[in-house]
Amino acid sequence: MSYDYIEFGETEKEFTSKIEEISGQNIFSCYQCGKCSAGCAFSNLMEKTINHTIQLVQLGKKEKVLQSNTHWVCASCLTCTVRCPREIDVAAVMEAIREYTLRYEPETIERLDLPEELLKKIPNIALVGSFRKKSEL
Amino acid sequence: MKNSYFPGCNLKTEAKGFEESAIAVSKALDAELVEMPEWNCCGTVQTMTTDNLMRRIAPVRVLSRASKHVKELKDSQNQVTTLCSMCNSTLKIVNAEVKENPNDLEKINFQLENDELIYEGDMEVKHFLEILRDDVGYENIAKKVTNPLEGMNIASYYGCMLLHPDKAKIDDEEMPTVMESIVLSLGAEVVDWPYFKQCCGSYHIVDRDDIVNSQVTKIIRNAKKTGANALIVACPLCAYNLDNQQLEMQGVEKDPIPIFYFTQLMAIAMGLPQKVNHFEDNHINPEPLLKELGLLGKKK
Repeated sequence: MSYDYIEFGETEKEFTSKIEEISGQNIFSCYQCGKCSAGCAFSNLMEKTINHTIQLVQLGKKEKVLQSNTHWVCASCLTCTVRCPREIDVAAVMEAIREYTLRYEPETIERLDLPEELLKKIPNIALVGSFRKKSEL
Repeated sequence: MKNSYFPGCNLKTEAKGFEESAIAVSKALDAELVEMPEWNCCGTVQTMTTDNLMRRIAPVRVLSRASKHVKELKDSQNQVTTLCSMCNSTLKIVNAEVKENPNDLEKINFQLENDELIYEGDMEVKHFLEILRDDVGYENIAKKVTNPLEGMNIASYYGCMLLHPDKAKIDDEEMPTVMESIVLSLGAEVVDWPYFKQCCGSYHIVDRDDIVNSQVTKIIRNAKKTGANALIVACPLCAYNLDNQQLEMQGVEKDPIPIFYFTQLMAIAMGLPQKVNHFEDNHINPEPLLKELGLLGKKK
């Protein structure tokens, strides 16, 4: 097993504070109890658990955070937020990671090509919700 | 009493049965829902960012217009009522946020200048379930029941937006009772089940229906296991996901169970005209179950 050398320079610090700024949360409040991941309905589909993602944000590991699908799988149901014993709005941190990508690296987002029959069928709240969460619109 | 009512986009399209049954029920219970004029989309999902005021303009605009509407209604409290739980949550959260941050409200109001109508932070947002619980009362619902829903075992599905977060919840987030109490007052049975707020996958239906399908499977299997023969919901997106995706997965999951809006069941129990329910819009036809239990066609 190999360990990463923990570096917390300007680049790392910048990512961490940007996420804190967008979400309005104190990310260092997290003490890794894992309740967010335990209660998440989508944990089985996430490449990294939520608490692991939070820890990587604390360490400023931008690439690792953005490469994972965790924040995109999150459906903003806010179960983690209402259960966090440290009162961190965990879903807001996930939103901040999505927003970070949309604001600073939008070219990494895959464009969707939705068939017309799907567009006709799907409720408009799903479309508006999806576009607001997953695109710069 | 009259309530200013904000429909939101889906109540006019996929969920006509929800809107029409709710209005009919509200009239019968003397808590009439009166549609507010010149409403706009609330934005569907609230932004959880601290710095994006653009996404908060639409809900504030709705609140400012609702505030004008309640003054015109006279016999009304300072509140706007919603049916869709996503609208409910978005409007409630933004309302609480701008009340806490007058500076943000001032900036948003500046954007509303052309409307000649600003929001003064004087409104409350209520879901129709709250109106039924707090203003109407369960006993008064029970008094209007002419067609008790005997034989129906209902799993009440709250979904996430009615119970999360603190700013938007309508009941206890881990042990809500409002839907169950209404079901009991209609003469139906409630089932006790753990999946009442397990997220249905929400907007992932657009590009990740695998996520939605795995959620729907878990939710429906659990409802059936606890003996439910129908589900009630308060959100057009939960309804679509649970209803349509059950049919899509019929190869794997047999015997789909019907999904009702809670107001549709109220309309049946209260003997209101069938046409308000628009069952033709349901993906899984609920009529066979209702006929089997002898609940259809008693009183038209």
